[in-house]
Amino acid sequence: MMEIKFNYQNEADRLREKLGCDLVAIALVETAEQQFVLKWQYASGNLNDRFKRIVLQSGRGVAGLVFKTGKPLLLPSVGEFIKKDGLFSYPIIMSEKLQSVAAVPLWNKGRVAGVLLCGCRKEHEITDELLQMMLKTAGEGIGNLDGKELMAL
Amino acid sequence: MVDMLIKMFENSTDAIFFFDANGKALALNPAAEQIIDKDVVTQLRQGEFQAMCQACRGYTSDTELQTCLSCYFSHNSDPEDFSSFQVYLETEGKGVLPYAATFHTIDPENGVRVFMLRDLTKQFKTQERLYENKMMKHVIEAQENEQKRISRELHDSVAQELLSAVVDLRVVKYMTQDQDVLDKVRQTEATMTRLLDDIRNLSVELRPAALDDFGLEAAFRSHFKRVEQSYGLEVEFKSDIGTRRFGNEIETVVYRICQEAVLNAVKYAQVDSVKVTLTVETQFLKLRVEDKGAGFEKGDDPIGTGLGLHGMRERAELVHGDLTVQTKIGKGTAVQLSIPIGQDRTGGKAK
Repeated sequence: MMEIKFNYQNEADRLREKLGCDLVAIALVETAEQQFVLKWQYASGNLNDRFKRIVLQSGRGVAGLVFKTGKPLLLPSVGEFIKKDGLFSYPIIMSEKLQSVAAVPLWNKGRVAGVLLCGCRKEHEITDELLQMMLKTAGEGIGNLDGKELMAL
Repeated sequence: MVDMLIKMFENSTDAIFFFDANGKALALNPAAEQIIDKDVVTQLRQGEFQAMCQACRGYTSDTELQTCLSCYFSHNSDPEDFSSFQVYLETEGKGVLPYAATFHTIDPENGVRVFMLRDLTKQFKTQERLYENKMMKHVIEAQENEQKRISRELHDSVAQELLSAVVDLRVVKYMTQDQDVLDKVRQTEATMTRLLDDIRNLSVELRPAALDDFGLEAAFRSHFKRVEQSYGLEVEFKSDIGTRRFGNEIETVVYRICQEAVLNAVKYAQVDSVKVTLTVETQFLKLRVEDKGAGFEKGDDPIGTGLGLHGMRERAELVHGDLTVQTKIGKGTAVQLSIPIGQDRTGGKAK
């Protein structure tokens, strides 16, 4: 178990360097003992651990939207997308002070099993190009998640 | 006697008009001159046709708030009907105001009539406030009841049914060796477990059963756990009330105000933790929600709707509580609620 964790963290650090963004976070569905909740489990470049405490709900927030729809999400400029008083619905954006965000689903056996998020603390830093790179990374599979079969569909 | 009558006419705050049989104003007291437009006063004195109509905006009849039908001023009106009535006047500088009026003949021989007016604005405002308060109480009560009903329904039937379906799924896992089926069942179980959790959360968010069953402290503890789970905000909770119970209304008010205050901290204070204390001091139940966050300037343009604080105050008023908000930019915000408790019920014996 320890070994797998190590891999994810390494993967996040490596990805952050490769994509050149401020934050890389991976949300995964927890085990049956943990009621299969979705949580941000690994992060690289985070300011604090506040968002890791959050139990993500399907359909709510950045991770929830991607988890529910299975579609990638790109917010080049957070300010244009979310009104100031709606920001509290997106805790990771607020606590990590992100200005541009992208998130893609991680597939496993026909289901979204996790979410990969990249964020920058400046506007328009995350581009469509970067999103494509993230999709490619997710498609190649992170850790033991075999994204390949679904990306082909 | 005459002396006193003159003084009354001169100094009364009620507006007094004397009219002759033709509707010409014989005399107006200072109070009357004050409320009526100067041009109209002149016209009244000259006895111009329908001069009063320029100031009058109708009286209140059985059927209408402001009407001119069978006007009190006309000769064929029944004097009995206008011994006391309500009339609207266009006043100098203050717009249209309601007045309590009386219009009757004091000299049948010459047909002299007196028209007296008393300002009703203040009374109206008091009444309106009273009415609003009463309505608010009803609205909040109705809202709470409805939320309680839906919450119970979700918890007792929807969640229960779903739980038994999850249990069935677990049984299926032992009925097959087929790996594909097992994987699929496991995924479905995960989805349904999350759904069950969502429904439970929804139910508790609407109205926590713990509040009715176990009281404030228990309800707060589970509420703060959920706040931490949904927003990552840590709540430092201190309470010395234990299992002590208060009236249903008080508990609801305290719970809702605290909920709102903590949510405000989540939304606007930009902090990682909030301090909440709940104490009983002599005859008062006190709640304090404190953060060391951004704070705000009172009277500033709010980021949100600006109705939250208003709503909290209104809820506090329902149980004669007192709500104070101390805040300073960059220093944080403290919301303090103090509710008088008469005879309290102890040991969880509430209904």
